[in-house]
Amino acid sequence: MSLEQLTSAADAIAQVECVSASATWQDGAIWTRSTFRVVETLKGDLGTEVTVRLPGGRVGPLTATVDGAPRFFPGEEAIVFLARTRSGDYSVAGWVEGTFRVERDARTGRRSVTQESSAFAVFDLATRQFRSAGIRRMPIEEFRARVAAAMAREKERTP
Amino acid sequence: MTSRIFVGLRRTRTAAMAWFFLLLVLQQPAGSYTLGTTVPDMRQAASRSGGTSCPQLTRFDVSAPGAVALQWDTVLGNNPATILTADQTPSGQLAEIEGVIQQAMGVWSGVSGTTLTPAAFAPLARTSLSSGCNSSDGFDTICFDQNDAAFAPGVLAFTRVVSADAIGEQIAPGSPPSTFIGQILDADILVRPGDSNSVFATPAALPSYPNSYDLESILTHELGHVLGFDHSVVWSAMMFPFAPPPGQITGVRPTPQSPDAPLSDDDRTGLRELYPDSNDVVHVGSIHGRILRASPLELPVSPPGVTGIFPANVVAVDDATGAIVAATMAGWSCADPGPPQFDGSYAFERLPVGATQSYQIYVEPLDGAVMLGNILQTTTAICRNALSDPGWPLQFACTVPPPAAPFSARIRPGP
Repeated sequence: MSLEQLTSAADAIAQVECVSASATWQDGAIWTRSTFRVVETLKGDLGTEVTVRLPGGRVGPLTATVDGAPRFFPGEEAIVFLARTRSGDYSVAGWVEGTFRVERDARTGRRSVTQESSAFAVFDLATRQFRSAGIRRMPIEEFRARVAAAMAREKERTP
Repeated sequence: MTSRIFVGLRRTRTAAMAWFFLLLVLQQPAGSYTLGTTVPDMRQAASRSGGTSCPQLTRFDVSAPGAVALQWDTVLGNNPATILTADQTPSGQLAEIEGVIQQAMGVWSGVSGTTLTPAAFAPLARTSLSSGCNSSDGFDTICFDQNDAAFAPGVLAFTRVVSADAIGEQIAPGSPPSTFIGQILDADILVRPGDSNSVFATPAALPSYPNSYDLESILTHELGHVLGFDHSVVWSAMMFPFAPPPGQITGVRPTPQSPDAPLSDDDRTGLRELYPDSNDVVHVGSIHGRILRASPLELPVSPPGVTGIFPANVVAVDDATGAIVAATMAGWSCADPGPPQFDGSYAFERLPVGATQSYQIYVEPLDGAVMLGNILQTTTAICRNALSDPGWPLQFACTVPPPAAPFSARIRPGP
């Protein structure tokens, strides 16, 4: 999904910090609920805290794996594109595609974002090098500006 | 054969200089690490945990014929119809879809040198529960009309795999208990229903519906997850995470002569590692090595015990064909009773051998095209500790180290 598609699909977009994550059986499957402190809301109305439910996790001696669903751990920062599912819970649009990890350069203190799905690098046999797609290490200010521009375009399209 | 890759490292000041890959030609062959793993639950008695905290491969027990028993839910949504077939009659439609599922099963059971033979699959069964993809029933089901709450925008299909972290675990009352760590107890494939933007077509129907996704490619990929695969970084692999665009397929269609034709060598090597055939005399090669900093002083001081680069993306390329035979996320090893050691190890197994067979190994640290934050799910699956699992025994605890800082490299041949 492009940034425009993610922006359009998201009911809310926010920079968040994970404060807790726990897995439980629910509706015949294992789900992980991750609770986030909302650092800044870019789209929608989230309040100060938001909980996201994603498939997979570990309960007792059973592990449910769903490849492509992001995992969050306490202390991690991310910008997430949140979409409500039919259960009413928030999920992440496009899963790893709608997850942008926030990193802080230890030397300069500058923050950047990297799209989780950009992990899937291609090993190019022609050049014998790894290359990747998606947003990687983009300064957070530039990323926010891109999201704002995508939201503006979405608003223009909406009658 | 055991070889070593020594990497001389310097911290660099620019991100551009952080990009590199290194090359080493080895005499012998190499496996894949696009596989799921689970760490045994060491809070359990040794009779249940197996007495090891080393990550174990996630896979089925295929020691008995028909061990992988798949069923598919014949309830198909029609508002809108998302599964398109060439045959529009009700029975013909079901037969056509069933044929696609069987074809996808045949792709994986068509790989030589594995115990995942056609006999490992039970005859494909049908159900009409409309909500058969329940992780707690012990049935491995494919659903086309289960509007699961997990579907977020952009998710075409997914597979939910439940595996045991302990011996003797049951997924449902009356179901057989797990006999090894990592045993898959339930695996369900869910294909997105009810979305006119996510329409799937059988191979027979695809030419008429070029805006549809190829159902066979989608199901073959998801079946890979059912069997224990994670995603691969190899773009040509069936297990590469992104679906081909509408109207296109992954690889080529299988044929009776080449039932595994859609797979890449990376997929095949991974399957041989998951379900090795002890009678296979062709794919018996291995390459082991370590990726090391020239100066141990440049290794992270916390957590203690880090003696090599972690994590690193390692790719083995067949010299003769130029094909990627395996790709792995490396940088650790583990010997019973564990826990894992972050010593820079990589290992490729189950590779074809021959007098003229040689491989090139490419290594990239996780600060370039792939970053540690991107693969947290994979790396955190290696370790368990008191923070992740209350009551975890200290002697079996480990912590994933921070990613290697940007560095440049020089190369020395292994001994």
